[in-house]
Amino acid sequence: MRHRQCGIVKVDACIGLTVAALGGLLALGLSGISFGAGYDRIGPRFFPYVVAVGLLVLGGWFLAAGFLRKQAAPLTTSETGMEAPVNWTPLIYLALALILNLLLLDRAGFVIASAIQFWLVARAFGSRRLFRDVFVAVMLSVICFVAFSRGLGLTLPSGILEGIL
Amino acid sequence: MHGFGVALTVGNLFWALVGVVLGTIVGILPGIGPALTVALLLPVTFQLDPTSAFIMFAGIYSGAMYGGSTTSILMNTPGESGSMITAIDGHAMARAGRASAALATAAIGSFVAGTLGTIGLTFAAPVLVEFALSFGPAEYFALIVLGFTTISAVLGDTPMRGLVSLFFGLALGLVGIDLQTGQARYTFGVPQLLDGIDVVVVVVGLFAVGETIFLATQKQEDLSLTKVRGWTWMTRADWSRSWKPWLRGTALGFPIGALPVGGAEIPTFLSYWLEKKVSRHPEEFGKGAIEAVAGPEAANNAAAAGVLVPLLTLGLPTSATAAIMLAAFQQYNIQPGPLLFTTNPELVWGLIASLYVGNVMLLVLNLPLAPLWARLLEIPQPFLYGGILVFAALGTYSLNNSVFDVGLMYGVGVVGYLMRRADIPVAPAIIGLILGPMAEQQFRRALAIAQGDGTVFFTRPLSATLLTLAVCALIIPALIKWIAKRRVTAP
Repeated sequence: MRHRQCGIVKVDACIGLTVAALGGLLALGLSGISFGAGYDRIGPRFFPYVVAVGLLVLGGWFLAAGFLRKQAAPLTTSETGMEAPVNWTPLIYLALALILNLLLLDRAGFVIASAIQFWLVARAFGSRRLFRDVFVAVMLSVICFVAFSRGLGLTLPSGILEGIL
Repeated sequence: MHGFGVALTVGNLFWALVGVVLGTIVGILPGIGPALTVALLLPVTFQLDPTSAFIMFAGIYSGAMYGGSTTSILMNTPGESGSMITAIDGHAMARAGRASAALATAAIGSFVAGTLGTIGLTFAAPVLVEFALSFGPAEYFALIVLGFTTISAVLGDTPMRGLVSLFFGLALGLVGIDLQTGQARYTFGVPQLLDGIDVVVVVVGLFAVGETIFLATQKQEDLSLTKVRGWTWMTRADWSRSWKPWLRGTALGFPIGALPVGGAEIPTFLSYWLEKKVSRHPEEFGKGAIEAVAGPEAANNAAAAGVLVPLLTLGLPTSATAAIMLAAFQQYNIQPGPLLFTTNPELVWGLIASLYVGNVMLLVLNLPLAPLWARLLEIPQPFLYGGILVFAALGTYSLNNSVFDVGLMYGVGVVGYLMRRADIPVAPAIIGLILGPMAEQQFRRALAIAQGDGTVFFTRPLSATLLTLAVCALIIPALIKWIAKRRVTAP
């Protein structure tokens, strides 16, 4: 993660690096696109080329702005922007919430995956009432599952609770 | 007239009601907006007849504008960016015990502006359709470029940050099979990427996941809800001070919303500035002037109606919600644009008629019930965001029944969080994702017609004009916004 390495002061330089890196990635990928049938004067490579160049130019602009601080645009919402301190505990809970959800969705099923996710997100937002949170988490997941799969005909993975729900 | 026949059937009235109720709810709740709601509903509404689905979406859009003002006035935290200005004087009025008068002028102003805006849409749309029929691919391309620059310039603090977001969206839009030649681009051998990145994945990721991470890592602040004391209805003085701002707000909001300069934010700033300028008691502004609630609220609702003009007649979205509605049209294999009015008159006029109906519903729902709606804010934050993420995963998974999409959505969410931290607006990315492939298609079509002659964009007068405007658009709105903001924040 490039962002963590940059100091909080150099927001613009961070943007510049990331944007230029994305542009570079697109430019590298250009060679992987084969030309079309040939009757088209502008092939499938043209737009990716434009976007890549655009990103590289923007990245350069932000890098320049980041290093020549005077040209950098002042942030109007600085207290909510990059200058604000990051709270790490909720980030860990949220990362767990997202990763576990991905791992469990197919294997354990929607209800279990969602209930765990809900509980972890609630913890990330500072809730510490275990029983209440788990209760709400399970209720919400079960209701969603029943309402959306039975009521609206969506196919949600039932996982290990197959046959019970 | 025929549109009312469509809109007034029991089924469609029901969907309009569902839409305005949902819209009010998401307008009030912080963290969920109309764009995210429509995105999450897309997979669910698949079985629905398109007319009903769009009637519901339109209800969500206008409902969110009403709901946003309630949060601004009672809590000083706008649920919607279009209600930012309302918060200043609206909340001051609420603290002075005049919350219900502020809520009333906002609701009635929204109704007046929404209705007038819809009338404007009814009459402006056919005119624009006539005009748009003469558009060729070169003009469309120029128009999309104009949309790109105006949207990047208007949303966010600086045009450069908007452009970063736009190009991120354009890059995402490249992924998948090239429409013209069938070549796979940037799919990295992943079969799920061949169809491209779904706009729902991106909208849900940026708005739901990005926002949730952002808020969870911020310092938790106390949400204090100002109690509505008593029921002091608008006085005679309030009425006489409100009606002109309503009309002026409408006059500002509708055209600005309709022009491809994007969104409901700018007209609210302009309206505030104008009201302060013409007011006989400018010293009250910032301390609870009713004009400062009436004008901007009318402006944002009129702009919401205005945004539908380019969306329906040209297929050009100028806000995140309009972009996701365009994606919805595409899911139904309907292409908005001038032809839509002849191929699908039921849908278009039914949709427009439902806006009139929805406005009446919203007035009835919001005028007496605003304090009740505000109780939604008592949902504890942990539950609110826990629920948002569960719905985000549910909606994204249901798109293609694929966990891959959910993972992609979370990835986009992390990017959205970083963008939020770096003060980069997310809406241009969505516009870029949806309009990028369209721009490419029109560009290549125009060149094919001109037999490879690249000057075609500058020799056709209309296309040349639009491209010139696009360049101006990068400079001018930033200037207007800067001036308007200065006037508003200046003591």
